Amino acid sequence: MKRAALFALYLCLTLLLLTLTQSQSLNESGAAFIQDEATDARALQMLQARHRALERQLAQLQPPTPYIVVDTARNYLWVKRKDHVVLEAVASTGSGSILDKPGEAGGQWIFDTPRGEFSVQSKLTDPVWVKPDWAFIEEGMSVPRDPAERVEPGVLGEYALGFGKGYFIHGTLYTRLLGRNVTHGCIRLSDEDLRAVYKIAKVGTPILIF
Amino acid sequence: MSIRLLLCALWLVSGTVSPSLAAGDLPVRPPAELPTPASLREANRVLEEEIKVASRPQTYLLLDLPANAILIKGRGVELQRFTIESWKAADQPKLTGVYRLKQRPPVVRPKTVPGEASEPEPISIAHMPVSYTLHYDPPLIIKVSPSARTSPWSWGLSLLQECWSSLRLWFVHLTTGGQSEALPSVRLTLASDQARALAWTVTEGMPLLIRRTTDK
Repeated sequence: MKRAALFALYLCLTLLLLTLTQSQSLNESGAAFIQDEATDARALQMLQARHRALERQLAQLQPPTPYIVVDTARNYLWVKRKDHVVLEAVASTGSGSILDKPGEAGGQWIFDTPRGEFSVQSKLTDPVWVKPDWAFIEEGMSVPRDPAERVEPGVLGEYALGFGKGYFIHGTLYTRLLGRNVTHGCIRLSDEDLRAVYKIAKVGTPILIF
Repeated sequence: MSIRLLLCALWLVSGTVSPSLAAGDLPVRPPAELPTPASLREANRVLEEEIKVASRPQTYLLLDLPANAILIKGRGVELQRFTIESWKAADQPKLTGVYRLKQRPPVVRPKTVPGEASEPEPISIAHMPVSYTLHYDPPLIIKVSPSARTSPWSWGLSLLQECWSSLRLWFVHLTTGGQSEALPSVRLTLASDQARALAWTVTEGMPLLIRRTTDK
């Protein structure tokens, strides 16, 4: 009995020794694995931190004040503050049609609303339309020499917001055409929406057109 | 006494074995949906480039291949999102940097006749092509075609065109002894309305960024 117990003890001690050696090697490889994992985890954390920092940097480029977004394909205008829509309006944008310039071989006017980023450069009340050359040519008339003959009041609505190169966000007499691509490049709005946009927008307000 | 010794030995053995078993449980791989270092590195690369592009007053395109989406953005703000039904990219590792569109897809514009009372039918999304190629600088070709579901004829035609260009490329490759190099290209399949809307939106010089996939 005593022999059997001693044998069992011997067996257990051998087993213990074996497992200790094995666990030592396992622990070593485990330690290496843990170390690899730790390095990977640290690298991942650093990448995540960099990602968050870059996202913050990109978010800082977003306009801090309300901005205008125009969809020329669907003829919509939005005023947004960050991701929140402050105002949504049906608009009319460029017809995309062309008109030949008389006396200029190959010269054409293309009536597109420009796409890209712009900003409100001027705010006008009771604007008058100073008809450009194309407006006369389109109507089959000769271009007047007297600048006074170009002035046409009452067709742009109560307000106009200029965003460069003669393009404006303005009102219209043809409200039934809102929602269609009918303009010569300007952005038309109904009187009510124009009033609201005029109130929110300031000189410098970004306009993103796509 | 002997039983005690036996139990003690067994306890010792079990005590030393169990931690090693626990160590065996350690290899925990992150689930596939969690960001991997490679996907984060790629996202960071795109963000670094996007910050530069978004700092300038312009709208730009972000072709997000892992998300199957094309985004129109300005100042980092998402303006519109198109869903890609399927895509194929040749030479994906080379698709880094900022590309600029050379020319818009061609569209037949209505012409105004001076003095005519009736105005021409305005251009709309419906006038835009569904199947077209966008050429970029540095050299990159993006071929857009409609899905078979939304426009079977155009899809079939673009498939034939793709077969033909592959055949031609193979022939050139064969005759020049493998010296010809195809330009990096991406083929996108979109629903026809989305393909038209994208054609409408892109403008000459519009920057393009590409987020690539990172899984092997």
